[in-house]
Amino acid sequence: MADEPTRLRDYGLQSERLLWPTKGPSRFEEELGLEEMERALGLTTLEKAVRWAQTKSMWPDTFGLACCAIEMMSIVGSRYDLARFGMEAFRSSPRQADLLIVSGRVANKMAEPLRQIYDQMLEPKWVIAMGACASSGGMFNNYTILQGVDRIVPVDIYVPFCPPRPEALMEGIIRLHEAHLAGVPPAYERVGVAT
Amino acid sequence: MTSIASSPARRPIVAEPQYDGSRIPSRVPTILDVPEELRSSEDVLQVNFGPNHPSTHGVLRLIVDLHGEEVVGVSAVIGYLHTGFEKSMESKTYWKCVTYPERIDYVGYQNNELVYVLAVEQLLGLEVPAKATWMRMLLCELNRIHSHLVFLGTSALELGAISMFWYCFRERETILDLFELVTGQRMHTRYFQVGGLAEDIPQGFFAECRKFVEWMPHALDDYRGILDRNQIWLERTKGIGVLSAEDAIALGQTGPNLRASGVDWDLRRDQTYLAYDQVDFQVPVYPNGDVYDRYRVRMEEMAESTKIVRQCLDKLERMEGLPWIADDRKVVLPPREELHTSMESLIHHFKIVTEGFRVPAGEIYVAVESPRGEAGCYLVSDGGPKPWRIHFRAPSFVALEATATCLHRALVADLIAVVGSLDAVMGDTDR
Amino acid sequence: MTDWSALPGYVSHRDGPEMPTVTVETERLREACTHARDELGFAMCVDVVATDYLGWAGKGVSGYIGTASGRDMMHPADQGLQVLPAPKPKRFSVSYHLLALRSGAASIAGKAGDARPKGGGAPRVRLQCWVDDGEHVPSVVSVWPTCDWHEREQYDLMGIVFDDHPNLARILMTDDWEGHPLRKDYPIGGEPVRFSDEQ
Repeated sequence: MADEPTRLRDYGLQSERLLWPTKGPSRFEEELGLEEMERALGLTTLEKAVRWAQTKSMWPDTFGLACCAIEMMSIVGSRYDLARFGMEAFRSSPRQADLLIVSGRVANKMAEPLRQIYDQMLEPKWVIAMGACASSGGMFNNYTILQGVDRIVPVDIYVPFCPPRPEALMEGIIRLHEAHLAGVPPAYERVGVAT
Repeated sequence: MTSIASSPARRPIVAEPQYDGSRIPSRVPTILDVPEELRSSEDVLQVNFGPNHPSTHGVLRLIVDLHGEEVVGVSAVIGYLHTGFEKSMESKTYWKCVTYPERIDYVGYQNNELVYVLAVEQLLGLEVPAKATWMRMLLCELNRIHSHLVFLGTSALELGAISMFWYCFRERETILDLFELVTGQRMHTRYFQVGGLAEDIPQGFFAECRKFVEWMPHALDDYRGILDRNQIWLERTKGIGVLSAEDAIALGQTGPNLRASGVDWDLRRDQTYLAYDQVDFQVPVYPNGDVYDRYRVRMEEMAESTKIVRQCLDKLERMEGLPWIADDRKVVLPPREELHTSMESLIHHFKIVTEGFRVPAGEIYVAVESPRGEAGCYLVSDGGPKPWRIHFRAPSFVALEATATCLHRALVADLIAVVGSLDAVMGDTDR
Repeated sequence: MTDWSALPGYVSHRDGPEMPTVTVETERLREACTHARDELGFAMCVDVVATDYLGWAGKGVSGYIGTASGRDMMHPADQGLQVLPAPKPKRFSVSYHLLALRSGAASIAGKAGDARPKGGGAPRVRLQCWVDDGEHVPSVVSVWPTCDWHEREQYDLMGIVFDDHPNLARILMTDDWEGHPLRKDYPIGGEPVRFSDEQ
């Protein structure tokens, strides 16, 4: 009969379950067992799922400047294997990178390219200031070294030491992953990009 | 930004070729100019190999003019890592300055420490005990192996032999473990002090070092197995980036770059320092001056360094219990136990740490053979506790001056190979 | 022994522990370098260094001179007390460290080994010339092409102008930097940090 609503959209609904309250469990649910459902499938919000995916493959940009770059190269090596975190693919183009590990002292001449690289990265993007020189100028308090890279880019994680052990850098990376999983926004949302 | 390579104003030619056949560009020795016939052509593309680029050399910027795939103009812009070491060290006492030279050449760091410490000791006229000398030699040779491993890993990575990176860094981790065992720190060890070493050699180091020395020749065989008969490697490195002997000398090259061009010159043998005259080693020299020869020189230097380390171990194992630092309390900190009992030690400690020991007035230039070439330290002292002027002769600075000469008729892919083979570390270049 | 007085523009020389230092007149520097390269065999210029002596001999240097032999009690006035370092002729010295590729005397003095060079002549020498602020130094790029970047660096950091240099531009600092950082009247820069009031 034409005046009886037969299509879901006539009711404004999108799921048959609400329309058909007496429908039993679906075939899929029967196979799994109703109580197994939550255990067999991961149920999560979309944001958490996206964050999980971002964390597991956060690709760094090749931004090795000085001594810390050598230690950064050694975490890609086979002893301190960064590939287990899905991060061994160091992208040379900042447009493909998520993470900028500023490893080394930043001279005033290099500050402008650093900012350009940061601007070219697409959101979401994170910055790790690796080493004492990137975090605060390190042992160089003079006319040419930027006293901390957070003067020009917002920084998420500071990794101290000169140079940090590979394990220290990985601790920093893992903390960044955990922070992101927990919902901490990247630094540019907290601090403002044009800092 | 005006482009240096193709600026219209020509300055008079002042650098005549030293001899027929020189490939040093004649207007400016370090800039390859686009040839006349191509200057107005629309086919020449100027590309910026910016300070951030994938070949892991740090922040070198090359402004390259390309005619198709061929490099017709190149000029290097450096200074992106200028740290002001020399100015910073002028405001620190000599003892505190030791942490600075290491970070200049951050891959061959013990050699920079060594050259600084030797310069200060020479001005002081200080006698260093034999144990310290041999240990310094051992660590510098381990550092040479370390530096060549980094060179090999990164250069091979850039040319596409990616697995070399992991092989080389595996051995590098063992060397860094040895450094950590002795000094407590993987890189930038600050182990060399004015007068000797900071601390005695710990137990167990000799056994570990022997294990490494026994293993290293097998590792070198692994590398040779991967690269030496690899046709792609050979084609990408043989005949590429040729630097003749006369050009190399005119451009001030030293170290493996010079030896690969056929000049038999090694500071360890020819102007010997530490105890290199008491160890037996060969100096590899290859005639062609191309990328392949530089690679061969560094490979063989690793083997020779392993031999030197073995001889140092033999000597050091018989030096148990000997002093590791000079006894001069005016310069060297007294041992901590003495501070509890002796008043003079306390005063010396206080004076050295706060005011610093004073170095007699004079100027000196000391050079050592670092993995990159001749690393030198020019020190002017006014008699006070801080250096008046200190300058480090950086082998990488000079190596990069040869890029324009080596890239005569090169392709873009060769540019990468050549810059990698010159083994320039940007911290060393920019200081 | 090498006869340094044959160098054009020779002023004086002084033997040092690791190499002799020969002072030449600034105007005749290029001839001296050409002579050193061609006649005396110094094929390689290893380094070019400029030193700023502003403030040298301004304040006395006193205190204990740390040498292995300590202070000689018989001559207290020469060491230890307020001693002014000997004044320098002009403000800047420009030193050219030259190397002749012949083995011989150890570069570090006091090492065991034959002190006489095997190839004949000293293997290393420092040619030095003196200039005041504003005076120019002839460039030796035509003698040793490696001096290109060394001279640029000393121009950049010390402000010494080299005449006839084909490309005298700043090399380590940015192109628009003002001032020459390594001069003694240029501040170290940086920022004040707490507790860093050392003298």
